[in-house]
Amino acid sequence: MFLQPKLLVFKEGRMRIKKLYTAITLALVLFMSACGKSDADLQKAANEKLAADKISGITVAVKDNVATLSGDTKDITVKSKAEASVKSIDGIKSITNNINVVTPAATPPPPDPMLQGKVDEALKKAGCTGAKATINNGVVTLTGSVAETKYAPCIQAVNEVGAGKVDNQLQKGK
Amino acid sequence: MSLQEKYQSILELANQNGTTYTLSEGEGVLHIDGSAPSEEAKQQLWDEYNRIDPDYRSGDLMLNVSVGAAAGGGSNTYTVQAGDNLTKIGAKYGITWNAIYEANRDIISDPDMIHPGQELKIPG
Repeated sequence: MFLQPKLLVFKEGRMRIKKLYTAITLALVLFMSACGKSDADLQKAANEKLAADKISGITVAVKDNVATLSGDTKDITVKSKAEASVKSIDGIKSITNNINVVTPAATPPPPDPMLQGKVDEALKKAGCTGAKATINNGVVTLTGSVAETKYAPCIQAVNEVGAGKVDNQLQKGK
Repeated sequence: MSLQEKYQSILELANQNGTTYTLSEGEGVLHIDGSAPSEEAKQQLWDEYNRIDPDYRSGDLMLNVSVGAAAGGGSNTYTVQAGDNLTKIGAKYGITWNAIYEANRDIISDPDMIHPGQELKIPG
């Protein structure tokens, strides 16, 4: 009988420790979810995401949950794709997109003595009666008038011949 | 605004509809050279081009997209029209009438006699 009070104290002590543990765990969980992953973790995740999305040549650095994208690309869609990719990662607050779009220089088409013939033939094949092409230094100047339904096919035909530039003055007739 | 920015939506569309392409830029003209999986896919790109640049007047984009594995080289034939003669056709391609005649011996028997509708091979 006289042992009971001691046991009671012991039990109470155990309960208190248990409560303390619960409180600490809870605090820890709250703390972790508030902070999220570390910058290093996010950076790793971001680079892995880019690799998974087959975006190469772009690097990501993460600081204070802000991702900075850098690198060169030939294609502007890679720039926006990379941004969307990294933005989708949980914990990235914002993005600084420093990706540089560098379009490769077009090699000026060599003077093509056949260009007039090619353009004329392309127009003829597309049924562009009424359209006239004159060529000067690789620039195709399109004049005349074609039926409205033929307008787009005529422009397409000239685009596909391989000229350097089209000066489009073609009119839509009836 | 760069030309790629101006025509970005065409490129986005190409990515979506499976058109592969390469980009280059020179003398203020963006060149998109590519290959589309279907006529519809190609048409989508042209529709988008027309939306950005109504009636294609700007002259700052060359959209050269073929469908599938295009035959290519098809440009080197010439269809004879009324009023043509070999000298005149040769002038269009920067070659002599004789070169065309030699390349088309099988269909031209007399170099002074060609007929509208004949498809002549143009030697490269």
